[in-house]
Amino acid sequence: MAPLLQVESCTKRFGGLVANRDVSLAIEPREIVGLIGPNGAGKTTLFNCITGALHPDEGRIVLNGTDISRARPERVCRLGIARTWQVVRSFGRMTVLENVICGALRRTSRVGPARARALELLAFTGLAGKEDVEAASLTLADKKRLEITRALATGPSLLLLDEAMSGLTPLETAAAVELVRRIHGELGLAICVVEHVMEVVMPLSHRVVVLDHGEKLTEGPPADVSRDERVITAYLGERYRGRA
Amino acid sequence: MALLYPIPFERSGYIYYETVGFLVLLNAMLGIGWNIIGGWAGQFDFGPSIFFAIGAYTAALLSIHLGWNAWLGLLGAVAVSVVICAALTYPVTRLRGHYFAIATVAMWMIAQPIGATWPFINGSQGLFIPVAPGGSFAHGLLTMEFPGRGKGLGFYYLALLLFVLTLVGARAVERSKWGFYFRAVRDDQDGAEGIGIDSRLYKVIARCLMAAVFAAGGTLYGFWALAVFPDQVLEVNWNILPMMAAVVGGLGRLWGPVLGAVILIPISQLMTATLGAGPLAGRGIDLIIYGAVIMLIAGGRPNGLLSLPWARWAARVLGRAPARPQQG
Repeated sequence: MAPLLQVESCTKRFGGLVANRDVSLAIEPREIVGLIGPNGAGKTTLFNCITGALHPDEGRIVLNGTDISRARPERVCRLGIARTWQVVRSFGRMTVLENVICGALRRTSRVGPARARALELLAFTGLAGKEDVEAASLTLADKKRLEITRALATGPSLLLLDEAMSGLTPLETAAAVELVRRIHGELGLAICVVEHVMEVVMPLSHRVVVLDHGEKLTEGPPADVSRDERVITAYLGERYRGRA
Repeated sequence: MALLYPIPFERSGYIYYETVGFLVLLNAMLGIGWNIIGGWAGQFDFGPSIFFAIGAYTAALLSIHLGWNAWLGLLGAVAVSVVICAALTYPVTRLRGHYFAIATVAMWMIAQPIGATWPFINGSQGLFIPVAPGGSFAHGLLTMEFPGRGKGLGFYYLALLLFVLTLVGARAVERSKWGFYFRAVRDDQDGAEGIGIDSRLYKVIARCLMAAVFAAGGTLYGFWALAVFPDQVLEVNWNILPMMAAVVGGLGRLWGPVLGAVILIPISQLMTATLGAGPLAGRGIDLIIYGAVIMLIAGGRPNGLLSLPWARWAARVLGRAPARPQQG
């Protein structure tokens, strides 16, 4: 089967700084890919290139056979990629329900059906009962959950989660992992997670891609990657050796 | 109540109060229009009067040169204004926040010398709209021409009609996809683009809706004044008053600009009428008090008067148990 998303030799420079150098990766349908690497490795830059917030200087990004290297964010979303942000970007002065309706309006231009879809998804992600709360007054965990719900409402085939679990308590993290599993299992989406918490990424991902200094260090099944000497030196540290 | 308001003044001959009512409704209508871009889409437009002017000029020119009826002229004015607004706004939607606001001020500053010198619209000498003599009150409502008595009453009801149309239209927009998208762009533009909202397109749509309302208001004003002068239709008050009505009443709330206009315009008018004459005339006392009222409201209630807990107070006054504030 052809990959859902193909990043081909993507390079992105900011002046003299090379944030992504010659990065290639593919994501298959219904696959969970973990994207890891130390701070400044270029993970978020790669996300931004894929979603159209930035455009790569060299290389191509292809979604389902369509070149999206130069596409603007709203078009990338329409073509089937939805994302969340490291720093939450919920619509603070709108209610939880209204936030998700905005996402659901991607699929229909009528508010009635969009509201119905939004209510379904809020029940699915466990935010039922908080529909009328102003988004700004939610806890961080609920804000991140709301962002995932809003992203799902756009009807994507690929979901990019940028540190959807950072800053959460262990209990909240466990709940978030459970949610990602259910999104994968019940909605059948391909998911790419950027995450620093190894205990989250390793068990969750089918495949892990490691970035370091803007370049792809290696990729493979979590068990292999976590034993890779270069990965341990660059990122995981001795503490992680032999685990997972 | 709004329908009956002018009746006692019409009977007693205090036409001036009908004019105050006319200006309240006109500014409430403009405030609702401004609230679409400023309150919902969150883009502060400091130069909306250019669309007021475009509306007034277009309708006047259509009436003078082609003999168009005022209502047809109003439709033409709205169309011209929306097209010009779309062309002017699209390039500046790349700008965010203060920069967008500055760009709208710049447009207004550029419009002033154009209005004062362009021969096609007769420069600073302005345009005069001819009025056919005679005609009944009903005929006046259909043509916006009231040659005799009844002008104050006629324009009050014309403004009421346009105000209600604007309010109903804005309510429909608020509950539509556009209303949701405007507020999404206001709250987080990157977030909005991330869920597939073309932020530039929706900023243009929001400003064009505002431009349509201002063009309709400008048409009404032109036929009321029977003349269109650049320094009158581009006057700074057509920028400031609708915006202040929205901010004082409650930014982003449908009825906010209405409440704001009902409070601000009579104060301004009555103060000018009472304090503008007499021993203190010409010292701007009316403007000073007017400014103080605005500062008091803005400082005490920055989210506008509609954000106060009216429902709870009403319950208390009516003797019921006060409603408990909802726990978020």
